[in-house]
Amino acid sequence: MAEEFSIHLKVWRQEGPDQPGKLVDYTLNNVNEHMSFLEMLDVLNEQIVAEGKEDPVEFDYDCREGICGSCNLVINGRAHGPKAMTCTCQLHMRNYSDGDTIVVEPFRAKAFPVIKDLVVDRSAFDRIVEVGGYVSIKTGSAPDANSIPIDKSVADTAFDYATCIGCGACVAACPNSSASLFTGAKLAHLNRLPQGEPERKKRTIAMVEQMEEEGFGDCSNYAECEAVCPKGISISAIAEMRRNYMKAALAGEEV
Amino acid sequence: MARYGPNEHDVLIVGGGGAGLRAAIAVAETNPELSIAVVSKVYPMRSHTVSAEGGSAAVIKDNDSFDDHAYDTISGGDWLCDQDAVEAFVKEAPKELLQLEHWGCPWSREEDGSIAVRSFGGMTNKRTWFAADKTGFHLLHTMFQTTMKYDPIQRYDEYYVTRLLVDNGRCQGVVAIELATGKIEAIAARSVIMCTGGCGRIFPFTTNGNIKTGDGMAFAYREGVPLKDMEFVQYHPTGLPFTGILITEAARAEGGHLLNKDGYRYLQDYDLGEPKPEPIHRSMELGPRDRLSQAFEKEEEKGRTIEGPYGSYIHLDIQHLGEEIIDRKLPFVRELCLKYENIDPVKEMIPVRPVVHYMMGGIDTDIHGATKLDGLYAAGETACVSINGANRLGSNSLTELLVFGARAGQAAAEFASEQKPFSSALEALATDESRRIEKGFFSENGSNPESIASIRQEMYQAMEKGVGIYRSEDSLERSQEKIQELQERLMNVSIEDHSYTFNTELVAALELSNMLDISEAIIQSALQRTESRGSHQRVNYPDRDDEHFLAHSMAYKSEVGPPKIEYQPVTITRWPPGERVYGH
Repeated sequence: MAEEFSIHLKVWRQEGPDQPGKLVDYTLNNVNEHMSFLEMLDVLNEQIVAEGKEDPVEFDYDCREGICGSCNLVINGRAHGPKAMTCTCQLHMRNYSDGDTIVVEPFRAKAFPVIKDLVVDRSAFDRIVEVGGYVSIKTGSAPDANSIPIDKSVADTAFDYATCIGCGACVAACPNSSASLFTGAKLAHLNRLPQGEPERKKRTIAMVEQMEEEGFGDCSNYAECEAVCPKGISISAIAEMRRNYMKAALAGEEV
Repeated sequence: MARYGPNEHDVLIVGGGGAGLRAAIAVAETNPELSIAVVSKVYPMRSHTVSAEGGSAAVIKDNDSFDDHAYDTISGGDWLCDQDAVEAFVKEAPKELLQLEHWGCPWSREEDGSIAVRSFGGMTNKRTWFAADKTGFHLLHTMFQTTMKYDPIQRYDEYYVTRLLVDNGRCQGVVAIELATGKIEAIAARSVIMCTGGCGRIFPFTTNGNIKTGDGMAFAYREGVPLKDMEFVQYHPTGLPFTGILITEAARAEGGHLLNKDGYRYLQDYDLGEPKPEPIHRSMELGPRDRLSQAFEKEEEKGRTIEGPYGSYIHLDIQHLGEEIIDRKLPFVRELCLKYENIDPVKEMIPVRPVVHYMMGGIDTDIHGATKLDGLYAAGETACVSINGANRLGSNSLTELLVFGARAGQAAAEFASEQKPFSSALEALATDESRRIEKGFFSENGSNPESIASIRQEMYQAMEKGVGIYRSEDSLERSQEKIQELQERLMNVSIEDHSYTFNTELVAALELSNMLDISEAIIQSALQRTESRGSHQRVNYPDRDDEHFLAHSMAYKSEVGPPKIEYQPVTITRWPPGERVYGH
């Protein structure tokens, strides 16, 4: 069995959206290297419940296999922790040693208000998608002949952008709290497919403007988002979004 | 989203996974005037559909046919499938997948730009569409984004349904707890569609996420709707030991081998064909899941599996596919192995063992998703139409939730369009339910309080011992008694967390009561089926018995004690019962 070790935690505690929050210190003496980061927080909560002085720490999680986009923690200042291409739920305690201090905070942004402790409201993302992140034109009733043939390289690139799980790490990592990587990825997926092409301009303008409306900042090419994205979405999505937006907006065409 | 006045809708869908979202879109397209509620205990993108990996089956290539897909499904299900449902299913399957394509689903492509398809267990032809090995994610994401374009669809995210509202013999909505506030309220609807998925969490070792507690099955069962074919529990042959995380069948479809402790492809000893270097359809590693999981048990009995800290296992070897193929076709497999087992499948073999994966049984529905209760519909894993019979083929379930999600949505929309008035008793029913929860879980319950965790642990043990891959009368009876005892002990649970916001302890208690009710239906159905068919293997009854059991088990809830089991004939259209032959 794996040896147990101790860690010190500084965890963001906040009662509700309008209440002040603060970092609270905890020490855990029974951590082992096989635990995932979230299991370590479960152990913390068991300890808190046993002591009976305060409520357990609220945090979001679900699939625990890096696909659902729920677990969203800033760990020692970095969204999803120290490992590249890894969600919080896939991070294991073997990355830490006895005596380490770990600061755990929510994904902070003006557009992501804290609900409680480490849980934030990311419904702003839904509202960006609501204004155009879909295909609404009639694309023919299947199955006529075959489906629309799509060049493999185009399909593969669209697939890569479609792997965005909407976790919001890009926003949390960005000094401007921009949602450009998220929005860019959604646009880059749909805009390059033949079924998404007819609505490209309208979609781009609507989603970019909704992003601003929600209070996300602009992109200044820090590329912090790309570095923390657990799915490795390329920042080229942002360049593509801006190009499409400028073209659509400057052309002043009916959209 | 602000709501005004009482919570009233035309169609209410419980569950925001694949079946639920497909149903919601179908309702909106059938009648744009209808108001639609999607009530889910989690944000829809966390629904378990998101974890489906391998793909979705539908005939699309010239060398394939609907009849082949139907025959594979029916023989794979050991002739317990309703063949009229299977015929409808295979015909509508390509239409549904192309529809998803039109909504922007990034299906993987061949070099010539056409849809790529892969082989899958028990299928004669390549017909499994895929989006790498994240098919469920892309399918769900595509539908989630598509629901956003329909204004009438209103979401109730993080609402936990506790019961159905039934009055005058008609289902008219649900009672639900808003998890953020703890408020218990009625949400009325003219028709309700259950899309709550499976119940793998009644077992200790499962691929299913924490949320898969069979809620919808329990709600319908308590209202007198029968649960059909509940004894058929699918063990997927390749889960990672300890976590139970699934390694997709696509790993074998691409050419992966299953090896025992001597490095021997042992499936050749179990009437599954000759080992060839290349994958052969309906042979060896591409046999059906029930037969593969049963072979593992036999191999374990012979002492030819490997002993590990978390039980015995065998190896899945994909090293010979090479890094390029693994990264292109099975990226998620590599990611899961690296992150959870610290193993790189490019250079090492993957330890795997059978793991509870899927319920073939569920809420009894007809071919339109309608149950025996007026106004109540069901689709997806929670329903039993039945197209899966005694053993589901891999990649039929994603297609099933699309085809029957759409059908149930359409039928529920038509029912709701009649605009039958709501009963005046609904509010009172909701108040009763609120009292039941208060009284049942928050009051001091005697001198001998029970803990949720220990009841759950004992349920796990009872289910694992009683309803494993091979089942004996003895162990089933013992498990039956155990579950009954646990149901009584659950009455003595008292919840310590009295807070209103996100009371996870209360939800855990309610989920546990659902799981115990479903467990009794599974055990009793298994006990009474004295034959072996598909995933249901009885040790003293090793043969299939068509004379007595070419029939669906229908479990009806009793006031006290185990459910009453009745049988309903299987619909046979063009494929009379025959022998299941693999590897020839």
